[in-house]
Amino acid sequence: MTFLRKLALTTALVAGLSAPVAAEDVKFGLLQDFTAVYTFVTGQYNQGQQDYLALANAEGTLGEGNTVTAIVRDTGNQPQRGIEAYNRAKEEGAILFDFLSTPVSAAILDQAQADKNVVITPAHGRGDASDGTVFPYVFPMMATYWAQAAALIEHMKNTGGLEGKKIAIVHIDSPFGREPGPILQALSEQEGFEFQAFPYASPGNEQSAAWSEVRRYRPDYVLIWGAGGGQAVSVRTAIQNGIAPEQIHSVIWLAETDAANVGPQMKGVKRFEATAAGTDHPIIQRIQEKVIDAGKGSGEAANVGNSYYNLGVATMAVAVEAARLGLETGQPLTGETLKAGFEKIAGYDAEGLMPPVTYTAEDHQGGGAGRVSEWDGEKWVPVSEWHAAYPDLIRQVIEKSAADYKAGH
Amino acid sequence: MFYRLSGTYHTSYQADRKLWKIPTDRRLVIALLVLALLAPLYVSPLYLGSYVLPWVIWSAAALSLTLLMGLAGQLHFGFAAVMAIGAYASIHLVRAGVPFELALLLSGLIAAVIGAVFGGAALRVKGLYLVMATLAMQYLVDWVVVNIPAISGGAHATLRTPAVSFLFMPIDSLASRYWLALGWAVLLTVFFMNVKRTSFGRALVAIRDKDFAAAVIGVDPFKTKLMAFFTSSFMGGVTGAILAFCFYRAVTPEQFGFNVSIQLVAMVLVGGLGSVIGSWLGAGFVLLAPIFLTNIISALAASGWVPVSQNFLSHLPLMIYGAMIIGFLLLEPLGLAKIYDNIRKYFLVWPFRHARS
Repeated sequence: MTFLRKLALTTALVAGLSAPVAAEDVKFGLLQDFTAVYTFVTGQYNQGQQDYLALANAEGTLGEGNTVTAIVRDTGNQPQRGIEAYNRAKEEGAILFDFLSTPVSAAILDQAQADKNVVITPAHGRGDASDGTVFPYVFPMMATYWAQAAALIEHMKNTGGLEGKKIAIVHIDSPFGREPGPILQALSEQEGFEFQAFPYASPGNEQSAAWSEVRRYRPDYVLIWGAGGGQAVSVRTAIQNGIAPEQIHSVIWLAETDAANVGPQMKGVKRFEATAAGTDHPIIQRIQEKVIDAGKGSGEAANVGNSYYNLGVATMAVAVEAARLGLETGQPLTGETLKAGFEKIAGYDAEGLMPPVTYTAEDHQGGGAGRVSEWDGEKWVPVSEWHAAYPDLIRQVIEKSAADYKAGH
Repeated sequence: MFYRLSGTYHTSYQADRKLWKIPTDRRLVIALLVLALLAPLYVSPLYLGSYVLPWVIWSAAALSLTLLMGLAGQLHFGFAAVMAIGAYASIHLVRAGVPFELALLLSGLIAAVIGAVFGGAALRVKGLYLVMATLAMQYLVDWVVVNIPAISGGAHATLRTPAVSFLFMPIDSLASRYWLALGWAVLLTVFFMNVKRTSFGRALVAIRDKDFAAAVIGVDPFKTKLMAFFTSSFMGGVTGAILAFCFYRAVTPEQFGFNVSIQLVAMVLVGGLGSVIGSWLGAGFVLLAPIFLTNIISALAASGWVPVSQNFLSHLPLMIYGAMIIGFLLLEPLGLAKIYDNIRKYFLVWPFRHARS
């Protein structure tokens, strides 16, 4: 038995050595904010990313001998630290970057484009980067904030109609909070509803002023657009002001932690999701089995299956798929071949964890599909199917904004 | 031994009025300047672009702030807002067709005027109350930038700097951006050293020590305080423009947030209030120490020395950094500049024990 195993091992080794393509170690730079503003998501998100990469290495997803390594650094949400981390990771050979921070992404976007390195901005970052003709190396890869707003509005339309209704958008007073504005403007004309924006000051620990205004406005639906601790405050203050949880619709940044902070009142609140939550998915199950149970997990096992954990898993599943397709051509993997790999992805859904995405040279958002899910008191339950809402309108907004960006340089 | 001070006596007023009275100091400064000028030749792009360049620019910012906080004694907790005004003004001016050289000056002037208006609060209040007034400036400027798309650059609030050239040198390559920043920082350094010897500089110090005593000896507090805010804000505004054009090249409001103001105050305090070398050392420490610590800890973790979770791993450098700041300030409350001064004084008369200062 031992002899046989040795023989098999030796044969495998010899075969490996004589293989024509040298084994490649693909490096991804996950240079994120673990200590400042994005802490509400980064820990779980990054854990999901690292665990998926461990799974991909354990299963040999990238093909014989090829591995993928994550370079993980804290940037503290400071652009100058992000620039340092980017330059260093670039020297170490990273070809894909995920900053999960709007200021850091903004500071590096131009440099990464010039260096021909792929930057992924899943569920955050500039929406107009979905236009691959203007941003060839940036991949928002999932529904942008614009597509998220459209999906939530469409869900309201399907569940209670929009004609003559009033929507209050309660948002953090920052560029991020203002993202859904143009979409609401365009859709209000098309669907015949009225809306009003109610900003609250960053970071949103205190929102009672905004919500008493909302109460006076008597909205039929409420959109909340914030992140981190402010989200739980939004839901709680809304309910205190007589708004039913069922009326509340949130941007993607509302997760299990927020539900725990709000408590039982949270039941009925809806949010947009770009990836499914929970552990009931083949990839998550295999991570549990081959990574977590094998003691190779990168963080607390209790986080597995959380919304942000699964989001992180999905981002790396797509990135590894792109790397696999890029390596299939037989060329060494660089930023350019990785970009080409991304643009070959068609109908990939990470075994049901996310809606099928297809990237083309023009569309780096991958269709912008998502769905709405509702908190049932214990977990997020989907209440709509995966699909893209108002894709033509979103595309128009993307192209217009991208053209402005191009003209502004 | 190094300084060979015995035998160097100033026999004329001219010699006594030199910026660097001791020949060794002079030679040291010249050597550093030559090294800094030649940096693009021997420093790798990684270190030049991510360490040296930001260090030079933040040193200029710290120098601008320390003129106000160290020399004139007026606390300012909204200095990032001053830099933001300079950065946004310069970009919009260049986009409107103003030559870059002129835009730099004008952006400094705009920042100076707005900074002096808020500095007007200093005529009435002092200390913590002035901190509150300058904080108000920080939040007001932030709010204006974020809420007026014409300033912030549209929906995503990112404004890219146009291509420019400075005195026929295109500000495009890393080396040219570095040289421009270095030139500005050196100019500020020389200016600062000279301000200390002018009547204006002495008036600032008098105001800092006791403003009504200064009034009694004939220093006009109204004029001097406003001048302090004006000068410092001018320097800060141009530094903001340099930061935008030479380092970030894409400006977002977060780059000039409240936390940046606090970082600038930390640079000035850790370096040593009102000190030139302290501004350089303080900027280097506050800016680069967290980066070095993060990289060291990550390298240790990668080799299995620190088996901890990613989350703790990210916070560990911050804990060490905080401990270092407390440690330095306990060891020498006057900042890094004083530590340097102690070492220098020791070597002035080395191998003997007592310095003459």
